[in-house]
Amino acid sequence: MADKAILYDSSKCTACRGCQVACKQWWGLEADKTEFWGTYENPRDLSADTWVKIRFNEISNGNGGVDWIFTRQSCMHCTDAACVRVCPTKALYYYPLGFVAYDKDLCSGCGYCVEFCPFDVPRAKGNDITGIRKIDKCRFCIDRITNDLEPSCVKTCPTDALIFGDRDELVAIGKQRVQELKATYPDAYLYGEKELGGLHVMYVLTQSPEVHGLPVDPQVPATAIAWQDVIQPLGYAAIGLVVAGLGLNYLVARANANKEAEVKAKVKAKE
Amino acid sequence: MERVQKYTKPARVFHWIHSGAFLLLVITGLFLFIPALGFLAVDSWSRVIHRVAAVIFVLAPLIEILANRKTSWETIKSVFKWGADDLEWAKAMPRYYFFCDESSMPPQEEMNTGQKLWFFLLLIFSPIFVITGILMWFFKYSLPSAVFQWSVFVHDVAFIVIFAMFLVHIYLGVIHPLMRKHGGSFSSMVDGTVTADYAKSHHGKWYQKVTKS
Amino acid sequence: MTSHFNDVANSDCIMAIGTNCAENHPAAFHHIMKAKGRGAKLINVDPRYTRTTAVADLYVPLRSGTDITFIGGMIKYVIDDIEKNPDNYNLIYVTEYTNATFLVNPDYKGPAELDGVFSGWDATKKSYNKATWTYQLDENGIPRRDKTLKDPNCVFQLLKKQFARYDVDRVNKITGTPKDLFLEVCKLFSATGKPGKAGNLLYAMGATQHTYGAQNIRAYAVLQLLLGNMGIAGGGIQALRGEHNVQGSTDMALLAHILPGYLPVFSNTDKTLQDYLNRVTPKWADTRSLNWWSNTPKYIVSLLKAWYGDAATKDNDFGFNYLPKVTGNANSKHSHIALFEAMYQGIIKGFLCIGQNPAVGGPNSVLERDALHKLDWLVCVDLWETETASFWKRPGVNPADVKTEVFVLPAACHYEKEGTVTNSGRWVQWRYKGANSPGDAKPDLDIIYELGLKVKEVYQAGGPNADAITNLTWDYGHPPTADAVLREINGYDLTTGKLVNNFTALKDDGTTSCGEWVYSGCYNETGNFTQRRELDDGPYNIGLFSKWAWCWPLNRRIVYNRASVDLNGEPWDKEHPVIWWKEGKWTGDVPDGGAKPMAEGGSYAFIMCPDGHAHIFGGNVAPRTAGLADGPFPEHYEPWESPVQNMMSGTQTNPALLAGASAAEQKGTADKYPYVATTYRVVEHWQSGAMTRHLPWLCELMPEMFIEISEELANELGIKNVDKVIVESARGNIEAKALVTKRFKPFQIDGKVVHEIGMPWHWGYAGIAKGDSANVLTPHVGDANTMIPEYKAFLVNLRKA
Repeated sequence: MADKAILYDSSKCTACRGCQVACKQWWGLEADKTEFWGTYENPRDLSADTWVKIRFNEISNGNGGVDWIFTRQSCMHCTDAACVRVCPTKALYYYPLGFVAYDKDLCSGCGYCVEFCPFDVPRAKGNDITGIRKIDKCRFCIDRITNDLEPSCVKTCPTDALIFGDRDELVAIGKQRVQELKATYPDAYLYGEKELGGLHVMYVLTQSPEVHGLPVDPQVPATAIAWQDVIQPLGYAAIGLVVAGLGLNYLVARANANKEAEVKAKVKAKE
Repeated sequence: MERVQKYTKPARVFHWIHSGAFLLLVITGLFLFIPALGFLAVDSWSRVIHRVAAVIFVLAPLIEILANRKTSWETIKSVFKWGADDLEWAKAMPRYYFFCDESSMPPQEEMNTGQKLWFFLLLIFSPIFVITGILMWFFKYSLPSAVFQWSVFVHDVAFIVIFAMFLVHIYLGVIHPLMRKHGGSFSSMVDGTVTADYAKSHHGKWYQKVTKS
Repeated sequence: MTSHFNDVANSDCIMAIGTNCAENHPAAFHHIMKAKGRGAKLINVDPRYTRTTAVADLYVPLRSGTDITFIGGMIKYVIDDIEKNPDNYNLIYVTEYTNATFLVNPDYKGPAELDGVFSGWDATKKSYNKATWTYQLDENGIPRRDKTLKDPNCVFQLLKKQFARYDVDRVNKITGTPKDLFLEVCKLFSATGKPGKAGNLLYAMGATQHTYGAQNIRAYAVLQLLLGNMGIAGGGIQALRGEHNVQGSTDMALLAHILPGYLPVFSNTDKTLQDYLNRVTPKWADTRSLNWWSNTPKYIVSLLKAWYGDAATKDNDFGFNYLPKVTGNANSKHSHIALFEAMYQGIIKGFLCIGQNPAVGGPNSVLERDALHKLDWLVCVDLWETETASFWKRPGVNPADVKTEVFVLPAACHYEKEGTVTNSGRWVQWRYKGANSPGDAKPDLDIIYELGLKVKEVYQAGGPNADAITNLTWDYGHPPTADAVLREINGYDLTTGKLVNNFTALKDDGTTSCGEWVYSGCYNETGNFTQRRELDDGPYNIGLFSKWAWCWPLNRRIVYNRASVDLNGEPWDKEHPVIWWKEGKWTGDVPDGGAKPMAEGGSYAFIMCPDGHAHIFGGNVAPRTAGLADGPFPEHYEPWESPVQNMMSGTQTNPALLAGASAAEQKGTADKYPYVATTYRVVEHWQSGAMTRHLPWLCELMPEMFIEISEELANELGIKNVDKVIVESARGNIEAKALVTKRFKPFQIDGKVVHEIGMPWHWGYAGIAKGDSANVLTPHVGDANTMIPEYKAFLVNLRKA
């Protein structure tokens, strides 16, 4: 079955935040406590109750004017997802349609995903002292898309800045849109076509990723790879070797201890 | 058979509390380290135990050291004194442990070189555990993610080293044929005593000091 | 809207001026995006860069209150271009469908000659004698015309004279819009004057909430008529209404100056129904003009029959004396500002405040809140306890000092009741009840109906004009149903008891009834058309969707569509036909007027104008079509409070503007209040925040009131982002946090720097998210015609708190 994806076209986004509210409405998420901090953007950060938000950035453009850059911030549903790699309980896992699914019941609250995500997406809620908590992030509206509906953010978007469909079709659409945009925005770029094996939430950007606040060429952190792909097997090997070594030592030592006892007994018998 | 007092009650109590906490830490930590065991970490309870055990793991030695400042300091100092005796131990080690040739081993102190090594590693790696653990527990949001990421990594490496040594410690404590001779070494942590033969054989130098006084 | 939302997708060039439609009409904006997807250009004219600007092709800054200069400049450009390159325009449209060719009374003079006023200005009465604003009529009473457009008294030449002063330099000096940018707009938009190209104009409160707001819209009308954009697919003038049923409320005449169906209210100069009919029913000698308002007698009699049934007969003038008569100008006496001035003076004792929150939404909040203290009783019908309902316990007030008896009647929200709502596109859509209301909340229909029954009961014992109340039919069922109301709105043939087909069946002899003639046809014996939801787009695929619900009038989706075809009935744009005369009948949309094409002797295109031609010159033509209160052409005036001398003429402000009695004492001048201020909305909150500031998800998005200030002004005043600031006007002051932004830039007005700041007006002292109200600052002055308050341009001072 073809991978599904979401395409976010920041050049069509009017930052109405219908997506933010639709997500909360569908999933029954609470409102975060916020205050005005000098921009329309709110909440200030993603949270266990805010899985998607729009970032606002005013930049001066060349002609003495201004561009108001809007950028969606949410789980990018990577093909090579650091969170899936580091999740000890498999609460985060790859769904056959390509996105990173999440089973909250399995979450241990360890927070590895929070710290290893190259996009800094998952967020925890609970008690940081006892450690009793759960994380949360965009779930790609798994219950909607497995019932032939669009994710609720996509459904709400009035300007079709968000569209949903087969990933390869969206890649083609995104690339064409970038071509169209290049006339006015020479830095236009399709983010997520190739990053991390390909993201299942791709962005049509009008500016370079840095201007949009996105990591350029994001990677799974080296420590995750070192941990999962190097240290863990090495650890098993090392412990295995030690156990094998001890086992061998036991066999040899016991044999020798018996031999010694035999010799002693023989000597004693002779005496 | 004559028995010699090797470890006091406080020392034994401390040992079990500390190793009990350590075991809990290992087990609950393994739930997060071995993917197949991950399902046991669901709903955070194992992580709560890990933290409670971690507090005990840190507090117990602190209390122990504060309560016995002089002896503790002596012991710690001795762990950092390495010399010719240790080299002798190392040379004798293969014959001694594989061929059970007790005569090949020079007389050892209260802690033989192997035990000293174990203590030494614990002294080095426990703080590493504790520090990386504290960073992961309390500084998740105040320090960059890279700190957490590296802490996980270092915590893992420390775990592998210490766990390997821990297996050796248990093996040598209760399984190795030599250690089960002469009444065995496990009793040293049960009632604190070992037989005189055991003491003479394994910690000769110490036995001499102890029996003289 | 002259068209409807879906039709905007057919536009080639869209000018959004006086609207932040991506912000405030997000769902409708979908269709603008569709137009852009087809290659259409979106021009956004606004004092500030908004979320609409973020997706616009061209951002055009202009100082608040200078729209007439801007559009006037475009009109001048088009006139000059028509003369240079006539082939780029649809001159048949201009000469045959508009009154451009009509000759005007030679005594008419305009602001170019009279330094800012039109002929007939009476300074004592503060109004115009419109005797000179007339056409030259021939001996048969038919207007004389010059189809070559050269006669100095023809409308086209008078228009040219009117806007000759609106050259690019002056436009730049007054509006602050850079010249090259302004010319780019002119080029882009005037290109839609070519047949086959459609230019659309979207507007909202940024256009209307000025002391010359109606003239702003007239300016759009003039421009769009010159460009042949009225009545075609993708063209027209689109009023983006601010509420999902405010169009409905306007149609049902919840206004001071009209009765349902846009019939004028009775005046105290009308002694009989016939006096009224003589005053408001236009007659026209040229029978080629359908002059649709000549049917007024049928509509007013049917309305009275609907309300009074058998108690309205020929003998009592159909109940003519049951209705109140207005003394003088209805709006200047009885619209919002006037009502609150009267309340403040203690004249009004009781206030039924239904679905409204004037304590936040009305201008001059301090005065209006204080006015509430003078009431004996106040009834608030609303979903939450609003600022108005809780005025008596607001910060700074001791409830023990308030003598007003306040009632709060909880109301059902729109998903908890059934009935129709009418959107900006005139679509009347039936809605079903989706959920039960909490607690005791009731639909407005039930509340008003029961209240009316009680009032009727009380008046049985007598009282002033008692039979005006006791004789009301007031029979909508027990409990009342929206169905019964809609049927009354459609109208009945009283001889048979059956619903009339549509308003063409209405009579003036008392044998028909009709609650709102424009809606007649929405629910007849065939069925309730407002409930239809068919997706058939019709033969020409222009997004008409004629079988989705029902639109007025007569389900005509694009009004003035007779102007979308040439004199033979062939569409100007054959790829986007609205109507098409084929084999002796009209195909496509419901044609405007239904007559044959003009070439076959059919009637003129604009049936609601007595002369059948669209009014470029809004003159004094016939009863009810006497031109606006402030002139037959738009003319630039400065806002009532402005830091700038009017550079177009010696008349600083609109001489005919309507001011509240207290306004003059609270007028600010630039020496004390040097900055221009404007108010606006954000998508996250709605109107006075009565609903949205009670919803956690929305309060999360926009928790606090803020003031948007340019980086330059902030720098001058030492204000940093998030600093608390105090904004002060001659009416009061508020405190809020500063949002220092690149999106406001100082204006260069004739070499001087003029700073403008802006703020949303959603906040008040009730709700989860509280804050100071912007309307504390706004003045009690309004448009010359409607008295809509001038919320969009006034003077303030600003400082760090």
